Amino acid sequence: MVTKRVLILAPLLLVGVLLQSYFWVPTYEEQTRGSADRITRFITASIGDARLLNPVISADGASGQITSLVFDSLLDLDENLALRSNLAESWTLTEIAYVVARPEVRLPGGARAKGETLRAAIATGLDGLATSVRLEPPAPRTVTVTVLLDGEDGAPRPESVEIELRVPERVAIELPEVVTDLGERLAEVLGADYLAGFDPASHAGVPASPAGELAAQQIPEHLSSLEHNPILEFELKRGVRFHDGHELDAEDVRFTWQAILDPRNISPRTSDFDAVRDVEVVDSHSVRVVYRRLFSPAVYAWSYMGILPEHLLNDGALAAEMDAKGIEGEARETYGLRQADFTRAPVGTGPFRFVKWESDHFIQLSRNDDYFEGPPEYAEYFFRIIPDPLTQEVEFRTGAIDSYPAQPHQADRYRSDPRYQSFSSVGFGYTYIGYNVRKPLFRDPDVRRALGMAIDVDQIIRYVLYGEAERVTGPYAVTTEWYDRGVPEVPFDPEGALAILESKGWKPGPDGILERDGERFEFTLITNNGNPQRKAISTIAQNSWRKLGIDCRVQLFEWAVFLKDFINVAEFDVTVLGWSTGVDPDQYSIWHSSQTGPQQLNFVGYENPEADRLIEEVRLEYDRDRQRGLAHALHQLIADEQPYTFLYAARGTSVLDRKIVMVERDEDGTERIVPVRPTPTGQLTYWFTRWKKLNHVPEF
Amino acid sequence: MGKFITRSIAQRIVLLFVVSVISHLVIHLAPGEPSEVDPLNPRMKPEDIARIREAFHLDDPLHLQYFYWMRDLATGELRSFKDSQPVLPKIWDRFLNSVPIFLVATLITWGLAFPTGIRAAVSRGSPYDRWTTIGSYALISFPGFFLAYLLILLVVNLFNVPVIGASTFGTEGGSALFRTMDRLWHLVIPSLLSAIGSIAVLSRYVRSQMLEVISQDYVRTARAKGLDEDHVIYHHALRNALLPFVTMFGFLVPGLIGGSVIIESIFAWPGIGRLGYDAILTRDFPVILTLNFIAAALTLAGTLLSDVLYAVVDPRIRVE
Repeated sequence: MVTKRVLILAPLLLVGVLLQSYFWVPTYEEQTRGSADRITRFITASIGDARLLNPVISADGASGQITSLVFDSLLDLDENLALRSNLAESWTLTEIAYVVARPEVRLPGGARAKGETLRAAIATGLDGLATSVRLEPPAPRTVTVTVLLDGEDGAPRPESVEIELRVPERVAIELPEVVTDLGERLAEVLGADYLAGFDPASHAGVPASPAGELAAQQIPEHLSSLEHNPILEFELKRGVRFHDGHELDAEDVRFTWQAILDPRNISPRTSDFDAVRDVEVVDSHSVRVVYRRLFSPAVYAWSYMGILPEHLLNDGALAAEMDAKGIEGEARETYGLRQADFTRAPVGTGPFRFVKWESDHFIQLSRNDDYFEGPPEYAEYFFRIIPDPLTQEVEFRTGAIDSYPAQPHQADRYRSDPRYQSFSSVGFGYTYIGYNVRKPLFRDPDVRRALGMAIDVDQIIRYVLYGEAERVTGPYAVTTEWYDRGVPEVPFDPEGALAILESKGWKPGPDGILERDGERFEFTLITNNGNPQRKAISTIAQNSWRKLGIDCRVQLFEWAVFLKDFINVAEFDVTVLGWSTGVDPDQYSIWHSSQTGPQQLNFVGYENPEADRLIEEVRLEYDRDRQRGLAHALHQLIADEQPYTFLYAARGTSVLDRKIVMVERDEDGTERIVPVRPTPTGQLTYWFTRWKKLNHVPEF
Repeated sequence: MGKFITRSIAQRIVLLFVVSVISHLVIHLAPGEPSEVDPLNPRMKPEDIARIREAFHLDDPLHLQYFYWMRDLATGELRSFKDSQPVLPKIWDRFLNSVPIFLVATLITWGLAFPTGIRAAVSRGSPYDRWTTIGSYALISFPGFFLAYLLILLVVNLFNVPVIGASTFGTEGGSALFRTMDRLWHLVIPSLLSAIGSIAVLSRYVRSQMLEVISQDYVRTARAKGLDEDHVIYHHALRNALLPFVTMFGFLVPGLIGGSVIIESIFAWPGIGRLGYDAILTRDFPVILTLNFIAAALTLAGTLLSDVLYAVVDPRIRVE
């Protein structure tokens, strides 16, 4: 019977054809079975796909990983996280400061503060400090600022407002370095009230509208009695080429800055470049970045801002692209970098050139043989998107991925597994318990300290993180110099905690819960769903506090709800959360008292005038040693005040195939194979361009 | 017939509109915002967030947002929040990636379900019948993702070969034969897994359908005529038992979109199910809504197709 035979044979044949394919697939031991080129390719995996491969508009980690290989920045961080030159051959930091003339005021000598008299007074007063002091005539100008108005349905609506500035006659002081305390020095020359007495609003005009009134608040930012203009001058390396062969020049730097500020691009990086007044092209290979005020974190911004190729993205190039796509009318107005094909096929100057991107599948890069620091060892770089950690590990073990970020419970196993090499380092982030200090219960720093003393952080690290974390005492990344290792940890001391609470008037009530004036010590601890570590910490904290006689309830919410209904509106008592921090010492958005509003990051409501002063000063300070002093002082202050119970910084572990080594070249060009090593601060991929995979496991 | 089809299409268009309005409402009323509007990014200012919200029309009334969506969808200008790429080509690319798994899984399902089901029906009550019944129910009740992990770990630990993704990575440049076989191998496990549940269900259907037909008078007549057993079963019984499966063909079509979320996520397969899943996680409204819309349209088209097919295949049914 034909039907019967077909019904039985067809599936057997199908299964046979499918299963025989097994014999063709390469194994971990024989990775080159399919293709000998396998070892010239580095394959890594990520949970999420990249979004936009353009350093100006991307903000997610996956895109950052790719853009950092395709693009280069002017500056770079060296092994010890200090700034070093990259695309820039060299850079210098100088300053021009402007002092307004106030003809209505008399100088200490009796003469009116204007014209040549003022200039001469300042020149003599600042004897030897300035390289030149000159007079500048009045220069009216207009600046455009963005303000937020209340929209019809309560959502903020942005609006642009023009402020007309009638800048009076000013004295320009050129300084060979940034002089932060110039104001105090000038006060000695011009009198204590000279600078403070100036009213910028009387020299500015805003439209008579609600938006204008809001804009008026921003006038002092654009016109003040003493204006610091720090100037960063970059001298670019010559002969650096984009992947399409076009040489990098000063126009590209200027274009990158313009692209960040272009409203069409909606760049998330604007705040880093807000303080830039202008980027001037001095000649083809030098640029001058002029800042409108002191803002030291801005220098760091150049260390991660990849430089875009102007010739591929300028208005002419975009117009040609729109014509080719047939985009007409209104859509042309909003067509910017976000829409441009470039974001899916970037062209940079970096060690790898972009080849291909298949969404949610992989991104392929290939070696840039023309790289200015010498071509990387690997011929190709694959960035695979594997959303599931278990699958990632499975792929790693079969040799289809070259590196794997081990989870805490796996770290120890991989460290002792002779088939792999693994590297552990503390990351740029920390986990904490944050107290809403607006609530009366948590207003007292001693109470917050007592709550922290009840929790055994070492146990959390041992049992929740499997020992893969380090205790932290303050808000900076442990690996940076801003972190003060001298600040003592909050000890684990439940009796001491109880004694503090008793001294504050909290006594056990009939049900064992602490009470004061009839009020029970009870609150809710919230965190987001889907993070098992935070959930475990919540339970441990709840249990530790219960032993003191504190009634704490734990609630978990989905991330979006958690943010929208609790964190952004500061409607919570206590929360378990984490921050990932940067390499600069700026803590403004997380700790400054002006950042406690809805949607802002100081959601615990921490306010302290001394902390505000330290935070502001570190942003004005350009001297690294003084910055470090300020950062350590802030660290100590926050540790004293305990608005957070600082818990730990997790240690990440990367596992690599043992066949991966590093190639070192001596001066005379001889090659040596050495084991892969991380930098002193723990960055493993710092020397990635020198990595290479061998056909066998090397012996050292 | 023509009248019937016209009327069905008209009804389905109205239904599609209702579905699109409801899904639009549900998605916008669900908590959470597009992940581009990220208030916890220390580098983003409220002004930036307000600008993004404006560009995405997030603060407009819902009916206006619906209108913008429909207008952009119709003009092909609809773009994903995530990467500003046009939504329709994006969905089409992913769809093409999902097709191989879908095809192989369907082949495996229909290829294996029929022989197992028929054999179980013919030898009703035998140990074979009992074991396949137990096996089917076990497979139906096992969660797919759990089975997937078990199978992956088994294959990887036993044979040391990659199973994730559409092909082994880093083997570009190998011979064409190798590449084909490698791709085929990567299809085996995901399609087997997505087929497994359906094999269990479908073989049950085949069994009960066959049992029903075998007890019919005309089968007894065929046997009485002295036909051999194979001819009775495969010629007379099977043909009539096949009728209801025509309906199931229609429902295969929407399965292309929804059926593969879990398998595609586990196997890092860049298919359409994962596109939808990721879009939901990042609240990428244009992608979620469009996928939803297409799924609804395909379901409606599928039911129409099976109605029509039924009328064509079964002479007892006539549409008025």
